Amino acid sequence: MSLNTFEAPTDGELVSRARAGDELAFCQLVERYQRPAYAVALSVTGRHEDAQDAAQESFLVALARLEECRSPERFGGWLMTIVRNRSKNLVRRESLRATDEVPPATRSRVPTPDRIAETRELRGLLKKALMDLPEVQRQIVLLHDLEGWKHREIADRLDLPCGTVRSHLHFARKALKHALQSVPGVPEMMRAAR
Amino acid sequence: MNREWNDFAETDALGRDRELAEALHHIDPASQDPRYWLKFRAWVMNGAALELARRRMIAQMTVGDVVHSWARALVPTALLAAVLAGILLWRFGPVPPMTVEELLVSEIQGETIPVLASPAAVIFASERF
Repeated sequence: MSLNTFEAPTDGELVSRARAGDELAFCQLVERYQRPAYAVALSVTGRHEDAQDAAQESFLVALARLEECRSPERFGGWLMTIVRNRSKNLVRRESLRATDEVPPATRSRVPTPDRIAETRELRGLLKKALMDLPEVQRQIVLLHDLEGWKHREIADRLDLPCGTVRSHLHFARKALKHALQSVPGVPEMMRAAR
Repeated sequence: MNREWNDFAETDALGRDRELAEALHHIDPASQDPRYWLKFRAWVMNGAALELARRRMIAQMTVGDVVHSWARALVPTALLAAVLAGILLWRFGPVPPMTVEELLVSEIQGETIPVLASPAAVIFASERF
């Protein structure tokens, strides 16, 4: 028996099987890309609920349009384009909704001793700091530092040169650190949340 | 300035900035609900069930199924066309066959030669020469 039998199926194989209605293959594609899809959606929408909706709907749209995926081996990049577009549409539709998950007052609020509240606050601050970054930098820093994608994978899936990805990542990290360190109490919260 | 916070150039095996990755982990929905991604997948698979079933049905169709599905539309159309042709034939009756002579002169202007050979033409010619 070939060792290849035990290797994970490629995107191309999974797409081909999903086109024929193979439930397991599609499930594997969802499992493989659910986190990056959410990260990209979050980088555009900035809201958990919207990111969740956009990411989930994008998988259904991708399935319905699977024949339009000209290079099944590059399914990830194609899916991320769908996620970005759907997220942008969602933001456009809800542009009148002015509610913000992170009220500016939280910046100056002293962290509470409650661990859960601290984590929630840290999450809010992180989202705020992320949303201050340009969209492409948000996507790259989330895909790299949260999802663990390599520069090459990000470049391939976001259709960007590898050098550009590195450069965006550098600036995104720098800006994030700068933003977070300027918030009083954040380093302490970081340590407490560990 | 907090030294611990500033010095996070340390990276893990994937090249991730350790401290930033740790911070970003807090915006991962699974940090609050460990079953989050399972639920996410279940929701997507539930929504995809109909489309997957449709695709399976198409993929499993044989040549016979395709011909049969065509036949279902083709046979009534052919029958309708035959009935219409029958009605037209019955109303206008059969067209009588043409003879060879009729066919040869059917679209020719019969007056061409008599006109040239008419007395007026002869008169005209004689006046000129």
